[in-house]
Amino acid sequence: MFQTFDKSSPHARKMWLALLARAPQPLLDAALAQHTHTQPQWLRRPETGLMMVQGRVGGTGERFNLGEITVTRCALRLHTANSDAPVGVSYVLGRNHHQAQLAAVADALLQDPAQHAELEASLLTPLREHLQAKHAARHARTQTTKVDFLTVAREAGGDDEGDEA
Amino acid sequence: MKAQDLQHIAASFNHEAFGSQAVFRVALDALSHPGRLFHMPTDCALPKHGQAAAAAMMLGLLDADTRLWLSPALAVSDAAPWLRFHTGCQIVTHANEAHFVWVALGDVVPTLQSLRLGSDAYPDQSATCVIETPALHADGPGWTLQGPGIQDQRQLRVTGLAPDFTEQWQHNHNSFPRGVDVFLTTPTHVVGLPRTTRILNTQEA
Repeated sequence: MFQTFDKSSPHARKMWLALLARAPQPLLDAALAQHTHTQPQWLRRPETGLMMVQGRVGGTGERFNLGEITVTRCALRLHTANSDAPVGVSYVLGRNHHQAQLAAVADALLQDPAQHAELEASLLTPLREHLQAKHAARHARTQTTKVDFLTVAREAGGDDEGDEA
Repeated sequence: MKAQDLQHIAASFNHEAFGSQAVFRVALDALSHPGRLFHMPTDCALPKHGQAAAAAMMLGLLDADTRLWLSPALAVSDAAPWLRFHTGCQIVTHANEAHFVWVALGDVVPTLQSLRLGSDAYPDQSATCVIETPALHADGPGWTLQGPGIQDQRQLRVTGLAPDFTEQWQHNHNSFPRGVDVFLTTPTHVVGLPRTTRILNTQEA
């Protein structure tokens, strides 16, 4: 079962965990409908807690505490005959325990090479599109408030500019 | 923790609250009645290494603020990531830094005086030592125990401890209020040995 890690690099897992952390429940529900009937073996039941988010101004700024966010996490092993079945973990924003469970199930399934391709198509791709659309919409909304500061003074070619320089 | 460790981790208590409360109750009873054997409820999934009673007790007692030292056999086993994952405890490499010490069957018990003994002002900052033994019997010949929590005296026969343990225990008792508290375990049972207990006379088991 280490091969599952070797084939898909840890980097790949990091990528899909980042996606799953932001996945809305309807998308997860749609893709994982057939996997949610069986009760998983819990390593850590969904639990809600606080996490400190740190920010940094610019690339060299000191880190500062931005504030706490509500996070729900869980870890589970899908019920299969062998106890070496992949362990799925999830950390999701908010207090939705069911969403955390679905994300962990998705993580466990994605580590299984047999299921990976199918889930990549049915879950990760729509998820990427959803997040991109969301980002684009947000970007478009903020764009409307953008102000272009024109250097009016320079265009006027006033004498003030020359004096200051 | 590496992903490979997580892959083999066993689950925790079947019921988080009830399981840990039951363990805590037994640990409390064991220290209140030194030398008496108590059955340790092990309503949890267990690592492959380490005795069940000791593992359940660790799972129930540890939390993110405690430092744990594991004997060499346990430190490399699946018990280490299991406790790390479920309790969030910090695992230390030097026994004298630990709040809790878990010694596997067959491993050498660190000298009791070398562990954290607390201070006269804060005797509660001492270590709690969980030592696995092959067998414990409530009948002699063995140790005769006296002290708070024992009406007259109590018999306890322990196998598998180093011969100088009673001598170390004498030192431990003399350093009261400082000193370590010990739990002796078998796979199913646990015996408490708080620092207030005296081991009177020892006959070879």
